[in-house]
Amino acid sequence: MTHVRRARDPPCKFRAILLGPMLERIALHQTRLRTPGLGLEAKGVALGAKGLVLLPSIDRLVALLAVYTREHSLEDLMPSLSIHLVRSKLGTREITLEIAAESSDRMDRIAETARLVGGFTFTGTSRHFVQYRDAGAPFGYDATQLLATDAALALYHDKFSQTYDVEKELNLRALLLRLMPHVDPSTTAEAGVRYLVAEQGLGPALIHYFVRSRVDGEVCVGEWPPASAFEDAPIRRYVLRVPDLPVRMRLLMTRTPGITSFLPAGPGVAVEIGYRHPVALRACPVFDPNGLVLLRGRGDEPWSLDRLPQMGDIRAFARVELRGEDAQLVAASTATSQPDAVRVPLRVLPSAAAWRNVTATWIAPNEIPLLRRLAYALPHQTIAATRIAVTPRGAFLRSSIGIEAIPLGTFFVEIHAGLFVPAGYDVTPAVAPDVLYRALGASPTQAIFVGIDARAMSIDEASFVPLETALLEAQAWEPLVADAIEAALEEKPIDLKLEGLGVFPLGAAELPAPDAVPALPPAEK
Amino acid sequence: MATPDFGGIADRVFCDFMAPLVLGGPMTTHKPIGSKVALAIGAERVAGDPELVSHVNLARVRRARRVVAIDRVVNATEVEWALACALHDIVQANHPGFDGALKRKSATKLLAMVDATLERTPPPVNLRDVVSRHTWFARLFEITRTDTDVAWWVGSSQFKGVDPPSRLTAWPELRRVNVTRTPRPLMELPGGGAAIDAGRLAASVTSFLALTPLTDLATCGRAAPAFAWGATTLALVATTYGRTLTTRVMEREPRAAVDAALGRATRGLIAARAWKAAHVAFELLADRAIADAHAAAKSPAKSSGSTDAAFARALGALVARARVAQDLVTTSPAERARLLAALEPVASSSAARDVEAAIAAASPPPAGAG
Repeated sequence: MTHVRRARDPPCKFRAILLGPMLERIALHQTRLRTPGLGLEAKGVALGAKGLVLLPSIDRLVALLAVYTREHSLEDLMPSLSIHLVRSKLGTREITLEIAAESSDRMDRIAETARLVGGFTFTGTSRHFVQYRDAGAPFGYDATQLLATDAALALYHDKFSQTYDVEKELNLRALLLRLMPHVDPSTTAEAGVRYLVAEQGLGPALIHYFVRSRVDGEVCVGEWPPASAFEDAPIRRYVLRVPDLPVRMRLLMTRTPGITSFLPAGPGVAVEIGYRHPVALRACPVFDPNGLVLLRGRGDEPWSLDRLPQMGDIRAFARVELRGEDAQLVAASTATSQPDAVRVPLRVLPSAAAWRNVTATWIAPNEIPLLRRLAYALPHQTIAATRIAVTPRGAFLRSSIGIEAIPLGTFFVEIHAGLFVPAGYDVTPAVAPDVLYRALGASPTQAIFVGIDARAMSIDEASFVPLETALLEAQAWEPLVADAIEAALEEKPIDLKLEGLGVFPLGAAELPAPDAVPALPPAEK
Repeated sequence: MATPDFGGIADRVFCDFMAPLVLGGPMTTHKPIGSKVALAIGAERVAGDPELVSHVNLARVRRARRVVAIDRVVNATEVEWALACALHDIVQANHPGFDGALKRKSATKLLAMVDATLERTPPPVNLRDVVSRHTWFARLFEITRTDTDVAWWVGSSQFKGVDPPSRLTAWPELRRVNVTRTPRPLMELPGGGAAIDAGRLAASVTSFLALTPLTDLATCGRAAPAFAWGATTLALVATTYGRTLTTRVMEREPRAAVDAALGRATRGLIAARAWKAAHVAFELLADRAIADAHAAAKSPAKSSGSTDAAFARALGALVARARVAQDLVTTSPAERARLLAALEPVASSSAARDVEAAIAAASPPPAGAG
């Protein structure tokens, strides 16, 4: 009886022998695949929607994560990553790591790492997963026959084909928190930001020590639940964040009882100095950046703060000392006085000096029609470089490359940024342009033109607009219908083309046997 | 018998039949698929050409957005694959090649397989399913075969669904070649040399449309097969959101043809005294009448169309007037007065009296009347 049952339903181990290999290599340009959910990506590699790595034990999973995170981040894998403890029909428990396959590049990286740690890589979509490509089959594998099973997973490998049921899901964050950091004394000498956790009694003394030693940092107080049920008050510890701890203090902070030093290992997580986590935590975005998880060595449980409390500058917590109450509060002055005025009015006088830096002109209102006519003759470079401000006193034009190309109006020389005097004139008394600028009380947002009569005119810099935008009158335009878009959206007619039916027109078409093919299930509600 | 090549069949059906059904362009039918393959082909099926799939899904989203604001559709489901294969076989049953010795019964057998497939295919159970199926099969009645008649000085020949060879159309002036192209829509294919009659084809198409009710309602103004209320169309229209989708798809069809189809179908329900079903149809007609009344306030509508169309409009106006009068339509008093004024001419027309007579004839006599 037993013999008959074995012949009908051979165990997976012997199935390949009895029924032949269940995998075949995919050939170049092969387009048809038998495995459901398996397709060919652009490079011709067989790829399903998911990738799966089968690992024999949890330590291999940790090794896989450790190796992978040394070079790559898990950030792009996290949305689709799931880890399960699965159980085969023979009762063995193994680990599966599932990710979205997305591309053969990603799968190649995973497969290389899995091969290194003794895992097998598969690809598929829902239940049936075939072996991912390797050197023997560069385009991957396809299953020649599918296992009829209700199990959650059916894996096809050239060495075995096995079905698995999911026993439970493993949480990556919980796994990382359970892993004990390895002893690594080299981290003591590492520079950079450090977190120092001081017991409640040590905190104020440590803060004062840092203030006295001019060490910058921030501090907050964290609260943890009591260690035992016999205590009713929460445990408070000072958490200090020190950006740059002086070298002379590093050993002190590491060896002083009651003070524990941590090095940040990623956003929201730090590892005790003297230890190193087996997985590169910087590549595992499973910790909340707004919180803080402090992983301790020696097998101690991690300290976790769901949300890092408000941190304050440690200088604000320095000891406060007051002068005696009998001391005078403020030494107030008894009187103030201003220096005597020696000011003289500004004058503008003709000068024989050569003209330099002539960059502005003032065109009186009666000359503006001339400017309009001249605009047709101006070269593009001049128009592009000139800015204009039109005021009731006329138009002011400025050009950084020189205004001589517009031979109209009164030319001005820029003697200071935003300060103009008429070309061929000097101001007296002969003060420095900077002094004159400050004496006029100008602001950087204004341009000041000092006229021949020594009167100053101020124009807001924002009033100057490019001459080319001010010159041209906008023309009315006629909107055109986008015929091209309409044509692109047009639906083509369906033109039915026939092919010959052949000698046996119905071919393989047949009615389903009444009990062989069940009705299709309705859609998911 | 060897296991069918599901992947190959699926690729051919998708590239040559399903994609053109959505995108338009040349559509080619292949060997009949049969019921057994149609029911099994869609299990975890992923179509082969990702670019074409993307293009088709884009066109389906465009189709869907005519009635509902969605941004993506899922790939063909197992049921949609089965429906596509059934439609493929319906089209293929009209192949002129079946009209030959020892082959005539094959076309009828093929339609029997289609019926078997459709019997095992579940109706849609939610609106997403309804819209998804509609995006695939909305252009069902646009499938058109072009038959070409070529006549030259010493003879003539006919080509059905294939292009004539170039040698027959060469030297048109010298050989006095005359080429006539006749487009034949799906429902006229039996008249173009098929081995099945129009009635048999209409029966299969009706069974098919019952599984995609939004398409059935969207094309209710068609000439054949005539629209009739069925379980799936009534189930769709019975829900508020289903009625909204229906109203939107009908907006795009010729008004008179839609009214005539709805009038004829609803008259059938009244005559059969299927009152529960009839009330669902009344709701739809009332919604259309209220929409007309709103529009009439801006631009007075012109009443035109057949007796059935007038019947549908009058029935809708009667139900709508009753709903507005009983304050079942949320609106302001002024708006209510405007609606009643707009509904009144239709609700008191001669067609409205026909409606009342038809309902009275079908209603049971009051107790104690005789």
